[in-house]
Amino acid sequence: MNKLHFKVGLFAAASLVLAAVFIVYLLHARGFFEKTFHLQLAAASADGVAPGVPVVFSGIEIGRVTTLGLNENGGIIIHTEFLSRNAKWLKENSSFTLDKPIVGGAKIRVDSPDLRAPALPDNATMLLLTSDISKEIPALVERVKAILANVEYLTRKDGEINATLANVKTVTGRMTGEYGVLEGVLGSPEKARAVTDSLDKTRALIAKLDAMTAKTDQWLFAQDGMAEQTKASLAQVRLMLNDAQSSLKKADAVMANAVEISANVKDGTQDIAKLRAEIDDAVRKANGLINEINKKWPFAREPEVKLP
Amino acid sequence: MAAVDALPDDVARVALDLPLRANLSALDNIALIPIYRGHFNVAESNCQALQLLEQLGHAGIALLRDPDMTPAQRFVTKLARALILKRPRLVIDRPGAMLYDVPYPSFIRQLAVQAEMTGTWEIFDFSWNQALYQA
Amino acid sequence: MNFLAASIESLGAKVVGWFTVGYGMFAFLAKAGLLLLEPATWNRATFDVVVKQIYFTAVQILHVFLGYALVISWLIITIILSTARDFGLTEFASEMTIRVLVLELLPFLTALFVALRSGSAINTEVALMQVNNELDALAHCKVPPMQFEFLPRLIGGVVSVVTLAGLAGLLALLMGYLAIYGMNVAGFEPYTRTIAKIFDFRIMAGLIAKCALFGLAVTLIPVTAGLETPKKLFMVPVSVLRGMMRVFFAIVAIEVVSLALKYI
Repeated sequence: MNKLHFKVGLFAAASLVLAAVFIVYLLHARGFFEKTFHLQLAAASADGVAPGVPVVFSGIEIGRVTTLGLNENGGIIIHTEFLSRNAKWLKENSSFTLDKPIVGGAKIRVDSPDLRAPALPDNATMLLLTSDISKEIPALVERVKAILANVEYLTRKDGEINATLANVKTVTGRMTGEYGVLEGVLGSPEKARAVTDSLDKTRALIAKLDAMTAKTDQWLFAQDGMAEQTKASLAQVRLMLNDAQSSLKKADAVMANAVEISANVKDGTQDIAKLRAEIDDAVRKANGLINEINKKWPFAREPEVKLP
Repeated sequence: MAAVDALPDDVARVALDLPLRANLSALDNIALIPIYRGHFNVAESNCQALQLLEQLGHAGIALLRDPDMTPAQRFVTKLARALILKRPRLVIDRPGAMLYDVPYPSFIRQLAVQAEMTGTWEIFDFSWNQALYQA
Repeated sequence: MNFLAASIESLGAKVVGWFTVGYGMFAFLAKAGLLLLEPATWNRATFDVVVKQIYFTAVQILHVFLGYALVISWLIITIILSTARDFGLTEFASEMTIRVLVLELLPFLTALFVALRSGSAINTEVALMQVNNELDALAHCKVPPMQFEFLPRLIGGVVSVVTLAGLAGLLALLMGYLAIYGMNVAGFEPYTRTIAKIFDFRIMAGLIAKCALFGLAVTLIPVTAGLETPKKLFMVPVSVLRGMMRVFFAIVAIEVVSLALKYI
């Protein structure tokens, strides 16, 4: 036996086996043995999306953009590809968001709030949302301003909130009274949820007002004096804010009540719809008030006044 | 020299300026030719080469490499390499330069007898060495 | 004026020299490539020389080479991992490790290793064969030196560099896994994902082509440099010196071109 040949043969065989194993492993890793799962995403703009952009779920890449195209209406269709083992994360209630971080490449984020939801079929088309941070910041600022404006509006037209509240009470009364309850038929849970949504919104508003009051306090009782006039107006604003807050809290209580009631009767039908509309209106007005405050706020842009 | 260089292609030469491959054994040096010229396989070629060496009475040097051989052994290997080419003419170019450790005319004559090959052997040598061949 | 003319002339001579060398090399390569297509080339003797060449170039040094690859990989992986941790870039560490080691550093070091060991040996041997008239002797016997001596060396070089670089790369992949995830299988999924992300078809083909070119460079250039040697014994060191310098330039050029193709 030729020892040299034996050694070379052993070397060649080992190398070939290792190479074959690695290639099979690589093909497995790249999903060669699996079916690919396709998904189309409809988007308003393909800005930042290119073939190869990853689709991530919980921070882990599960797929990639393959091609971009236009549909007949001029909308953008982004074709993505997934390995079938990763397709289980795509549900019918999944949301697809285009993330363009300030640092790093763009990616499409998948959020599946409920993993028990039915899976998406192959070749489905979903909507791609955009969450461009740089675009969102101004929008956020606008929204905050709007809320402040609403609160202002509400308190200025003194008693409006009370009126609304009275309205609400009437409605609730109606509901608890002969009409609502007696005529109560089993209803859909959506209605109840609608009320809860409004409730949540109101509560968020209250939290914001809280923060605002705290800020007003800070300015009001700051050591370094402010012009008397300003101080007075600030104090007034604070009062208004308090007022708005307490009103809203009342509204909140009423609404909580309403929810309870609606849960009890399981149906509000017309009444609950009306109630919801009214509460929404109140919240909208409160928002307007906050916006208005913001406009009139003397130190909104320059909170620190320096004295000589 | 010029006469030797001008020799046609059908002449097998044994000469100082046609050395053996230094990193191959005597056997491999000879077997190389049937492998490449006759397209024999390796075992067959080795067999032929060994047979030839045995015929020349030097089977023992089969596994030696060029630097390990005596001048006579090296000459025998070169001769075997030339013989296995199976060309009609064989020219031994200045054997004195290669066979400085043996009385070479008789040595070559003895090899020629053992080889029992057809064809002619020609020895090119310096004229002053002619006396050696008369003996 | 005279000085200017002289320097222009010397520059011209240098350029012509480089072109001659380059032309000789590619002509030799073309001849070798054509011979590959001929069935007569594929005989047992050529195969034996290929086997011998692979033995001396790859098998004989395998344990030394793998030990060296192990140490280098371990060091580089540790450095990349700790640096990545310091800068909070841990998620890029495994990809970075694989890219640096498997795709760039290990093939380059393999080529250098084989060039220094086998390339210089081939250059010396061919130069000595040329000086000693052994090639003339082979020609007299009508044994084609290309098929018998040179082609097997080229094939052996290519096979050896591709295989050694591949083995070192696999070893580095294993070491990378152990360094990042330790002795358990928990990291198999993410590591597989990283590997799948890096090794697409283009990268794999590029890696193999690069290693093959390295293997060709570390054998073809020494062979042609050896054949250029004048028939004087004292020219052998000069021939080896020139050949090894060309090998070095060729390896660096291949690496630079491959990097440029990949990232530009």
